[in-house]
Amino acid sequence: MKLVFYSGGDEKENLTLDYSFLELIDKKNPVITFIPSSSYLSEQEFKSFVRHYSKFKITRFIYFPIDVPFDKIIFSEVMRSDAIHMAGGNTFYFLNSLRKAKLLPQLKKFAEKGGVLSGLSAGAIMMTENIEMAGYPDFDRDENIVNVKNLSALNLVDFLFFPHFKNSPRYDAVFNKYTRSTDKIIYACPDGAGIVVKNDEIRFIGKCYAYSKGHKFNIN
Amino acid sequence: MNSIKKSPTDEVGKRSYTNFSQLNGEHPFKTQVPGGRVEYKARYRKGGKVAFFNFELAKEMGLIAKNHPNSLTPDLEREILDTFSLTIINEYDLMNDIKFAEEDIFPNTFMATRYLQLQHPDKMGRTSGDGRTIWNGSVKNNGITWDVSSCGTGGTKLSPACNINKKFYQTGDPSVSYGCGLSEVAEGLETLFFSEVLGKNGFKTERVLAILEYDKGIGINVRANPNLIRPSHFFSHLRQGNLETLKQVADYYISRQVENKAWEVTSFKTTKEKYYYLASQMARSFAETAAKFENEYIFCWLDWDGDNILMDGGIIDYGSIRQFGLFHAEYRYDDVQRYSTTILEQRQKARYIVQCFIQIADFLTTKKKKSLSHFRAHPIMQSFDKHFIDSKNKNLLQKIGFKKKDQDHLLKNHLDKVTRFRKVFSYFERSKSKRGMYKVPDGINRDALFCMRDILREFPQLYLTRLNTLSHEEFVEIIKSSYARKSDLKLTDIRKKQINRFQSHYLSLITALEKDFNISRTHLMLELTMRSSVINKCDRVTGDSITYIVQKVQKLRPKLTAHELFELSQQFALYQNLDPDQKLVVANSPERHKNIMQNLYSIVRECREGL
Repeated sequence: MKLVFYSGGDEKENLTLDYSFLELIDKKNPVITFIPSSSYLSEQEFKSFVRHYSKFKITRFIYFPIDVPFDKIIFSEVMRSDAIHMAGGNTFYFLNSLRKAKLLPQLKKFAEKGGVLSGLSAGAIMMTENIEMAGYPDFDRDENIVNVKNLSALNLVDFLFFPHFKNSPRYDAVFNKYTRSTDKIIYACPDGAGIVVKNDEIRFIGKCYAYSKGHKFNIN
Repeated sequence: MNSIKKSPTDEVGKRSYTNFSQLNGEHPFKTQVPGGRVEYKARYRKGGKVAFFNFELAKEMGLIAKNHPNSLTPDLEREILDTFSLTIINEYDLMNDIKFAEEDIFPNTFMATRYLQLQHPDKMGRTSGDGRTIWNGSVKNNGITWDVSSCGTGGTKLSPACNINKKFYQTGDPSVSYGCGLSEVAEGLETLFFSEVLGKNGFKTERVLAILEYDKGIGINVRANPNLIRPSHFFSHLRQGNLETLKQVADYYISRQVENKAWEVTSFKTTKEKYYYLASQMARSFAETAAKFENEYIFCWLDWDGDNILMDGGIIDYGSIRQFGLFHAEYRYDDVQRYSTTILEQRQKARYIVQCFIQIADFLTTKKKKSLSHFRAHPIMQSFDKHFIDSKNKNLLQKIGFKKKDQDHLLKNHLDKVTRFRKVFSYFERSKSKRGMYKVPDGINRDALFCMRDILREFPQLYLTRLNTLSHEEFVEIIKSSYARKSDLKLTDIRKKQINRFQSHYLSLITALEKDFNISRTHLMLELTMRSSVINKCDRVTGDSITYIVQKVQKLRPKLTAHELFELSQQFALYQNLDPDQKLVVANSPERHKNIMQNLYSIVRECREGL
């Protein structure tokens, strides 16, 4: 499995993660699919995405909004692409759209077959077992605007991911409490930091934090 | 109602609303074209509140300060109501000696203008015009003079009901609908959502300045535009052979265009030059408009009366305006007594309007009214035809996603390639369902089969990823709309050839630019991929979606303030802005607005291929 978890931040901050992402793809001029969390104004996000990766001499991109109808031709091309990037946004809306479009099993299959899957913020949370982290903690959460009840996601890794993390006692208190009642580890990453998974190997880029069994650990 | 208008000032921001006082019924058309209007006294209408106010437009018009917050202060609301909440004292009121409190009567009169309307039995424009609208006046800011008129201010003697039934009606008389002189808030909302979207996408259009709300969904809808004159304002006097008033209308209109610097030429050596320049401007505007309507699937009921459209091709009266998701070229609106024109017939109607303006120029110059057919082969008509085709070509290149520089280059140096592509594009765009003509809620239609936006959006990215063209089956799979049945999609030999042509002509445009500018094909296709994703986005507003959106907004509106409605209309217009070069500034809106907008997006999505 080849996965990249981006927390957020600007292009400069994410440069190391980008290189890791490209290293995982390991192909000259690969085809990268961009999946926005919502089609609303996502064409602009796609343009920024293309402009950014064009700097790495990549010229083949597929824009694939999933909350609008799509045909099987573009879909099969997406599934043939070398990497799929899931963008940030409202995690609940994103999950709901992926489920409605019946894409969750397809994306899982894509990753299992060796395609590189990356996600930023909401897109990264999507690769974990469920999107509980999007609604947690109360003071920093996405609104469940689509009232989605089933929060299970792609379940590609055995940890939870918390993006846009700010190292503060406020978060410590809630995450320590959360992990006391679960076996799951929460990896919390500030903007610019992230995680690279290559098969059984996990690599942390930037300053990351782990919460487990009610304790906090610094990584890097 | 204050009998003497004050100029309220917001003490905090020291903003004054003095410019509202210019909208007091006085308007240059009144004095310059006395035969072109009817005047009415008016009284303040109580019980109104401001449902919507267009803060950005008001700033552009100089009605509020540039730094005014987009919120309705009590003073501003009072100013809006004092200015626009009025009902005319019409013929019925006078004949029945209905008394109104003296302090409620406005000091000035308000005009209803005369223009030709095909629904009037007279057919000459002697009895027709603004049936439920008055002009509030004009206001000047930054060198532009804006006209402001209000719909729903009472029944005038120029309404069809008055003239068909030969009687005057009391304003609000429930026995007549349109003739009762009132308007509904829903009509204002429909115009608001539609005009803001079309305005952002380069259409000339009236815009909604304010919507006032009264009991039972009744409203006054205030509209603004730099020049609210329509061809029909000329045509009534042309039909009647009334040279004097026709000349007054022409001179009035031309002076406003010159004053607003709306034309390149601002002075004329002779009157002949002046009137023929007007005709040539009409040819230019109406060729561009008719082409844009065709390219963007806008149905605007253009007809021989020159109503429903402004002199510059701007859209006015959104009652029968539609934007189709596909090229439903055979749709006709059912107006009870008649069917409307179709999108494709709009070109001929636009042509007819231009021909009338050549007739007008000749009439004003020679003082003799020749028959319209006399001008059939006039050079201005030829310029209309040429400009129409030029505009069609340019619009198509823009739709593909080419930048302006590339569009100009292709039009100048590879017109044959552009024309070839336009022809094959039209073949798919105009393909019709075997189902034939059938009734739709407000008219008749024969379904279009293909969604051209989808292929324009997907072709460049699929080509880039594969570096190869699409198979016939793939092409049809992408382009087919929800209206297409299996039998409509048969891959006949002709269709296969057309699919091949579509792709090879498309690529020939790319090759031309590749060679001429020494740019890589990949670079060009990538650019088109990005631009086309905006221009041909999947969700595009249609007439049906606007109807449902207005219903949704109406349900929510008891809890929506004027300011919130303004914010929503702006967000909606931003979402439907198809300009690939736009700089996006997305405001952080409250969660409640996000939820509402999600609902509106779903409506647009569901209706994306409809009428």
